[in-house]
Amino acid sequence: MLQAIWDNIKGLYSLLVGMSITGRYLLSPVETIHYPRQVVADEIMASFRGPIQLTKGKKDPAQTRCISCQMCVKACPGHCLSVTKGDTKAPAQWLYDFSYCCLCGACVETCPTGALEFSHKVYLVTLTREELILDLLADLQKRAAILPESQPVPTANLAPPTVPDVESIGEPK
Amino acid sequence: MDLSLAIFVQIIAAVLLIIALMVGNAVVMVYMERKVAGFIQRRPGPYEVGPWGTLQAVCDSMKLLAKQLYRPGNVDLILYYLAPITAFFPVLLLFLAIPFGPWLTPLPVNDGIVLILAFAGLGVLSNLLAGWASNNKYSLLGAARAVSQTVAYEIPMILALLAVVLQSGSMDLKRITDQQGQWPWEWNIVLQPLAFFIYLVSLVGETNRAPFDLPEAESELTAGFHTEYSGMGFALFFLSEYANMLLVSFVAAVFFLGGYKGPFADGFWWLFLKAYAVMFFMVWIRWTFPRVRFDQLLNINWKWLLPLGLINLWLTAIIVKIAL
Amino acid sequence: MTGCNLGFINPLSVLENPGTMAGDFYSRNFEKKAVPGRIILNLGPQHPSTHGVLRVLCELDGEYVARCEPVLGYLHRMHEKMGEVKTPWQFLPNLGRIDYLHPLAWNWAFVGAAEKLAGLTVPPRAEWLRLIGCELNRVGSHLLWWGAFVMDLGGFTPILYAFEEREKINDILQIITGSRLTMSNFRFGGVCADGDSRFFRLIQEFIPYLRERLKMYKGLVTDNVILRRRLEGIGPIDVDMCQRYGATGPILRAAGSPRDTRQDYPYGVYDQVDFPIPTGPVNDSFGRYLVRLVEIETSLSIVEQALKAIPEGPIMMEKAPKVTWKLPAGESYMAVEGARGQICVHLVSDGGQTPYRVKLRAPGFSNLSLFAEAAQGTILADAIAILGSLDLVIPEVDR
Repeated sequence: MLQAIWDNIKGLYSLLVGMSITGRYLLSPVETIHYPRQVVADEIMASFRGPIQLTKGKKDPAQTRCISCQMCVKACPGHCLSVTKGDTKAPAQWLYDFSYCCLCGACVETCPTGALEFSHKVYLVTLTREELILDLLADLQKRAAILPESQPVPTANLAPPTVPDVESIGEPK
Repeated sequence: MDLSLAIFVQIIAAVLLIIALMVGNAVVMVYMERKVAGFIQRRPGPYEVGPWGTLQAVCDSMKLLAKQLYRPGNVDLILYYLAPITAFFPVLLLFLAIPFGPWLTPLPVNDGIVLILAFAGLGVLSNLLAGWASNNKYSLLGAARAVSQTVAYEIPMILALLAVVLQSGSMDLKRITDQQGQWPWEWNIVLQPLAFFIYLVSLVGETNRAPFDLPEAESELTAGFHTEYSGMGFALFFLSEYANMLLVSFVAAVFFLGGYKGPFADGFWWLFLKAYAVMFFMVWIRWTFPRVRFDQLLNINWKWLLPLGLINLWLTAIIVKIAL
Repeated sequence: MTGCNLGFINPLSVLENPGTMAGDFYSRNFEKKAVPGRIILNLGPQHPSTHGVLRVLCELDGEYVARCEPVLGYLHRMHEKMGEVKTPWQFLPNLGRIDYLHPLAWNWAFVGAAEKLAGLTVPPRAEWLRLIGCELNRVGSHLLWWGAFVMDLGGFTPILYAFEEREKINDILQIITGSRLTMSNFRFGGVCADGDSRFFRLIQEFIPYLRERLKMYKGLVTDNVILRRRLEGIGPIDVDMCQRYGATGPILRAAGSPRDTRQDYPYGVYDQVDFPIPTGPVNDSFGRYLVRLVEIETSLSIVEQALKAIPEGPIMMEKAPKVTWKLPAGESYMAVEGARGQICVHLVSDGGQTPYRVKLRAPGFSNLSLFAEAAQGTILADAIAILGSLDLVIPEVDR
């Protein structure tokens, strides 16, 4: 009986300990990042592997290094790539269906010319599934048009205006 | 009491004000609950609607009002729709006896606590009806739990209040308030700490709040007795739950914390401040502790609170007798 | 009655005969014989405490679980079949999706089996990176289990505290894996990315931070009297029962048997680290709870040793297999210690483009199967507590 009473008193004390812990956190500042107004630091985002993109060419940034060898298309477990060969080695069309992509990196690692890389787009949101079929050549042109030292130009679909330029952190150092 | 026209008008006005109070209380409590939960969990809580999310509760209530009343098949129609109404209406009467200020009692009755306890017992009926009529096994289990829990926790609650009643020699809430002083050390909590503790525990049990939220324990019973209610049906349960919380907090404030009396200036603001402090405590423990098991819940009641309440009542009786 | 005995019910017949045809095939055939006062309760597949789409049919006598039976198959995604139709390389990202809480252990099991079969040697730095990733991942998995378990018991706040730590672990693992949930950085013959200085700095900051937080966990949850009385003495599972059902991992260790694949059959560089195997003081739910919390500390100490021991060097073997790599004919078997128990991969290859058979042994499946026996005769709330203490990940159970 006495033992039970003593146990209950100890139990009540443990409840007080719990309340003091939550009470302390109640008064401490919040931990979360409030998304549209704040974003995750670039440093954290830089290692994130988002949807793939074509790397910029060595001489002309708008020129892809892809030679349409179809290695990536064969390697892809999700069958989400389609590369159409043009008149020359360079591809005429480079479509990438992100809705099927599992971000495994098979394409990036098989590419013999290093024409593919992971982007760091975290804020990729679309309203329809069709918008997830990305035209990587057009994307490359768009990125090449932005000079590295210029101010970030936010793209309408990819990120809200306050997001810092995710391109700038994706460049190989 | 002769029911003259003046009293009739007074009651009507009071009931209207009380409905406004109930709805306003639900709005404030939803906001407080979510903000406190947010800050305890280190996130901002409601943030988008209105400044600091203050209009979030209004938004939610609009949503509940506009929602379709979905009724599952095979329910007991009359009881199913009666249950939320039975939950809501008794609560209106309960506030009539609360002395909000020195001159501000909706219905001055000389045994107000009897009125409150009598009608508070009706709340469990609605849970039972809702659980039975929903034709859902989770609801049924929730209802069974609700009944045995509420019936059990009423007893230590009454015992704790009786100790104060014995001490002050009156069942009139106004007189109990008047016997306490302005300053915290003149309140009944100093004389009756054990009764206050028992009341505090059984108040959580009586209002089915975590950690004693067994009737609606969502990890076991999804949502307990109101699983099958949507829209306003759910909103009425919600409203009456918060109104019940407010009521037991008012009673706690009146019996133990000096009611409308407080330092510097007496008035309803002190009553509200104290009641919301008690409610803040309830919100705080909800977001801190795990839920107790059902047999433990009843064990706490029958094996600890009830004997403690009896001992407390007995001691109070002896001391009152000697002192007189 | 339509006389149909399968899952299909004519909706009109339910309206005409309320109660007689309700439920599907399982729930209508679950009841062995109608006992007055007993009800069949269908916990799941959509139920707040079944962590996904587990379905448990219970025969309740009042609140007591007279009999219960888990019904599986709501999240079956044919991972084993996919292993047979894809090349080993292409099957790799699937491994992270089998158990989304401890993906790197599954990676290791499959990659290890393939490496054993092909006789590949992994560079030492890659082995240590694998170990660090796997252990941090285990910590993350146990943290999430901790929060979800307390949420099953009705405490809502701890899971968000656990997520704070988990996000920090994800930040660290993202550097070497590139993703935050279904990680997959293992390659045949190495790992795909090296840890940079930030990676090691973050780990060194994280370890003391988590040790501080574990003290807070103790005060908030472990010492809490409500939690203790909910768990102590609930659902005892002894070694014999574990052996009958093939339960492994923290459940077996809490039962008192110090079995850990990391020490019994060391793989990678686990033979070079020194760590104790925590065994439970008691074999009930609280013992399983304590064992997992101690395992978090054990994993942290393993990571600390690994940080000291990790050498410089390449992270991929030379001439590492390409995507179209064919496994040589033969079969191999690899067992690793996951957060939930022993993960085994049995790989059979006939030398073709794709493996002949990939058998994945998920610890959660065996652990779940003892639930029916452990929960028999308990109160519904205790059954939920036992279910939580088994630490189930339904995608892994169903595969």
